[in-house]
Amino acid sequence: MKAFVLAESTDAQRALCAGARTIADEVVLAVVKGAPLTGVADKAYDVELPEGQPVENAAAGVQAAYEAAQPDVVLVEPTPRNKILAGLLAAKLGTAVVSDVTAFDGDAVTNMYFGGLAANKQKASGAKVYTVAGTAFAEAEATGSDDVETIAYVAPEKALVLRGTKAVPREGADLTKCDVVVGAGRGFAEEADLQMARDLCAKVGAELGCSRPLAENVDWLPRNLYIGVSGLQLAPKAYIALGISGQMQHMVGVQGADTIIAVNKDQNAPIFKQCDYGIVGDIYKVLPALIEAL
Amino acid sequence: MKIVVAVKVVADDQDIFVAGDRTLDYSKAHQVISSYDKNAIEAAAQLAAANDGTVTVISAATSKATDAKLKKDILSRGVDELIMVTDDALATADSFATAQVLKGIVEDKVSDYDLILTGDGSADFYAGQVNVQLAAALGVPTINEVTSIAAEGDKVVVERTLEEEVEEIEVPLPAVIAVSPSIGEPRIPGMREILAAGKKPSTVDELAGGVDAKIEIEEIKAPELAPRKQQIFEEGDIDAFAAAVAEALK
Repeated sequence: MKAFVLAESTDAQRALCAGARTIADEVVLAVVKGAPLTGVADKAYDVELPEGQPVENAAAGVQAAYEAAQPDVVLVEPTPRNKILAGLLAAKLGTAVVSDVTAFDGDAVTNMYFGGLAANKQKASGAKVYTVAGTAFAEAEATGSDDVETIAYVAPEKALVLRGTKAVPREGADLTKCDVVVGAGRGFAEEADLQMARDLCAKVGAELGCSRPLAENVDWLPRNLYIGVSGLQLAPKAYIALGISGQMQHMVGVQGADTIIAVNKDQNAPIFKQCDYGIVGDIYKVLPALIEAL
Repeated sequence: MKIVVAVKVVADDQDIFVAGDRTLDYSKAHQVISSYDKNAIEAAAQLAAANDGTVTVISAATSKATDAKLKKDILSRGVDELIMVTDDALATADSFATAQVLKGIVEDKVSDYDLILTGDGSADFYAGQVNVQLAAALGVPTINEVTSIAAEGDKVVVERTLEEEVEEIEVPLPAVIAVSPSIGEPRIPGMREILAAGKKPSTVDELAGGVDAKIEIEEIKAPELAPRKQQIFEEGDIDAFAAAVAEALK
């Protein structure tokens, strides 16, 4: 089995080449922008991109590298640029990319359906082109040679023109990188009451997220803070759910949490079946007491 | 400027339930416009308004998608015309197969298009691939994560927002562009728009020739949830609960 890795960042080049070793005995690496890492694959393809060209214009080069390598499976770092390069390669091969693969089982691959509400196990009948993060594989060391082949740039017939770039300003907290996340749900009667949740955050060093209704139905929090299906997927050390019933749509976003803690006044709320520590009580009584006690 | 928006119709994910055998129960879920496709329709409506253009929505859908309320919802968002092609196999068709069907609609009905917009990804698969596959099928350029679009003669100039940088890119027309949800909040149609939508042209044809899927689905099932301790306290036990929380946060 021969795997063809397409990656942008050096971290992803190393991680995906290492992961590829767990399913393939031969690994090659293709990189469009910048020189490919050496020592992580049996061979690397340096796909040329003239200065000032957008990465997508190198689609023909990626396809030429694929033709040169003749792999059995293509593993692509999931980035917006790679979505286009992988998609154009798949189209050329007469198939579809399977995106964001989370598990391999022989020829079958699994990814999320409806944002994680279900897992979709599928098989590609033709060429296999997957976008996948290094975390989908068992741990392995990347090994390889310093053999690098340059693939010449072939401009597309209808090329994109890159006029310029500017840096993106940083915005708010990134909940995916927080150790402790507090989630607020419909148990809060008024927007002002969210202050209690913020007080708890301040006390335990957490950041605040919410269930979808709070971001979409009432707009109390920005949409980029809702957790669950089509929103954030988190894996903090601890997740504290306040006034959240625990519907699957929300819970898939916090399955990765080490510990789930819940406060809800309804003892039959599904969240009590999916938490480690829960308290049946009104958030308006429990929260002030909890903040006091911590 | 003739703008086409390729839209997916999906089950409303807020009303999909997980059955006892971990399969998905769609019986309570209405058919809706896939969430991010509403942003694409909005972007198209605004671009059309700024450039004396028209907006045609096309969809490769299932027979369930043809209900009158859904069609009105689409047509009340600044859209001039709706063209659907249906086949129940399209519910889980891959991006290659879906793009072949959309290509057929474009070539048959709107071959004089300038720009085709898609959303960031559909609510079900969220692959972000149909724009790429459709562009490849039509032989035109594509770009994604677009947060603004301005027309400039025979091209559009887009801002494309990546994690660390914004690229300003010229895209020669015709082209297929996938827009980011942040390109604009979808409008909430008023009663006048909804009434007017009933009078706009809309066609539904059954797909001739079938769906040519390359990815075969073996099983769609809800994940088995990780076992949890489920240690539940009563409201009076706040101190014991606080102690457990404090221990977990250590």
